[in-house]
Amino acid sequence: MDSTNSLETELKKVRQELAGYKIELHQTRGYLQCILQNSEDMIFATEVGGMLISFSKGAEKVLGYSFMELIGTYIKDLAEDPVSFEEFFNSSGHDGPTVQLDIPFRHKEGGTVYFNVSLINLTNREGQSVGTVGVCRDITLWKKIQEDLVRIDRLAEIGRIAAGVAHEINNPLAIISEASGWAGEVISDAKGLSPEDREELEKATKEISHQTKRCRSITHELLDFARGSTLALIEFDIHDVLRDSISFLKPELKHTSIEIDTQFMSGPLLMKSDPKLLEQVFVNFITNAIHAIRSKGEDKGYIRIKTLSINSEVEISFEDNGTGITEENQKKIFQLFFSTKAPGKGTGLGLSISQNIVKNLGGTITLDSKVGVGTNFTLRLPLS
Amino acid sequence: MNEQSTIRVIRVLLVDDEATLLEYLSKRLLRQGHTVKATFSGEDAIEVAKQEHFDVAVVDLKMPGIDGVETQKRLREIQPFLQCIVLTGHGSIESALESGHEEAFQYLLKPVDYDHLVAVIKEAYEKKMKLQEAKFQEQLEELHHHGMGARGMKQAIAELRKIYGFD
Repeated sequence: MDSTNSLETELKKVRQELAGYKIELHQTRGYLQCILQNSEDMIFATEVGGMLISFSKGAEKVLGYSFMELIGTYIKDLAEDPVSFEEFFNSSGHDGPTVQLDIPFRHKEGGTVYFNVSLINLTNREGQSVGTVGVCRDITLWKKIQEDLVRIDRLAEIGRIAAGVAHEINNPLAIISEASGWAGEVISDAKGLSPEDREELEKATKEISHQTKRCRSITHELLDFARGSTLALIEFDIHDVLRDSISFLKPELKHTSIEIDTQFMSGPLLMKSDPKLLEQVFVNFITNAIHAIRSKGEDKGYIRIKTLSINSEVEISFEDNGTGITEENQKKIFQLFFSTKAPGKGTGLGLSISQNIVKNLGGTITLDSKVGVGTNFTLRLPLS
Repeated sequence: MNEQSTIRVIRVLLVDDEATLLEYLSKRLLRQGHTVKATFSGEDAIEVAKQEHFDVAVVDLKMPGIDGVETQKRLREIQPFLQCIVLTGHGSIESALESGHEEAFQYLLKPVDYDHLVAVIKEAYEKKMKLQEAKFQEQLEELHHHGMGARGMKQAIAELRKIYGFD
């Protein structure tokens, strides 16, 4: 009797333990599921040979496959270079995770996605490998930003060089200016010159002088623009800044048939702000308009710039008859690095920087656009 | 414009390491009847200023050796009434104004418009004359108060004239 009782108690104990383990297992499973469902990282598990037995929600999102589609697939076949991935996979250590950075995988729709991959072996209690777990961090965006930063840095370097060139050119320009002035003076006193010759020489020296003045304004405009100044609030006429911006872009407009139509309100429009930063914004808007018109292939392209003063605000609008912006893109255009231009043809920075500048100056930018018709950017700024 | 000062000969000291530029600038100023001395460094200009008297200096900002701001500061230590016009390439104006609390008469951007430069030189000259005249009168008053003999006075006035370059 005693032995049966003790057996029953033992059994009861074991049953209770089992129930406890079952609950713990259930909870652990639930916890793991939670992690896998919520992680943005690609997390997968494979059996010893590399065939996928688990694929997280994050993984599905990032590579475009559902786990169902991948049953029976080897993880290496999802990589751009399965051979080198297999090498890495087989070298995965038993003493902690093995990490390799910057591994390209192929998205279901064909693009490349880059990951930092960390692999760890799953071993049973006897120390045998039963499979591998991989945790992968998507670094595709980070890589793109790195590339953009390199490109931007190069553009900045080119800008610096251009400013340096402009600065240097001022010296020989000064000499040309003086020498031609001197020539003019000598000519006016020279004896024995025929009136025709005298007139020709005087005309020529005047022309040299005039052209050096022109070179001077070109270099000064460039140097003006290149000088990055800290926020400097001064009072100025916004019409002057608009005219400067248009003048700065004269070389861009020269080979196009684009007409700049200025409809400024009469008289000077005085405001207190930072003219250098505003010039940068205006140049950005006009450049975008020029690009939009050229993309459309419009012969009768125009950019209409209007100014208006309402209450204590000034409203400046830039209207063009270029390609227009799609509804979808209208939400994205102010994003950093978003660009509709071909890669390398733009930084995708202009509008986001402009928006930042305008925000810091207490203003707003709104836009109105229709595909195929054109776009109108309206800038509102407080008068002071 | 005061007719008298346009007839007056202005003594100009030019300072720029760009010799060709000074060659043409000098020729043009000389032709207009002014007295010109060209020096190719701040150091040379200072040495020259110790020997000769000038009304206006035109100094380039960027030079190897001491720069324009430092040069005009030292020139004014030697000749306090000397008016200095500093020529600067673009963008250096702010740094020039920051570093040089010694005020130049005016800062001009290179390449300089010749006629504008001449106009500024004349303005600088007018200013110098006014300052000098005022100070000269002041010191003359003081002399009277000291009551020296006629000969002593004559000598003292001659000294003053030399200091102020009225000769």
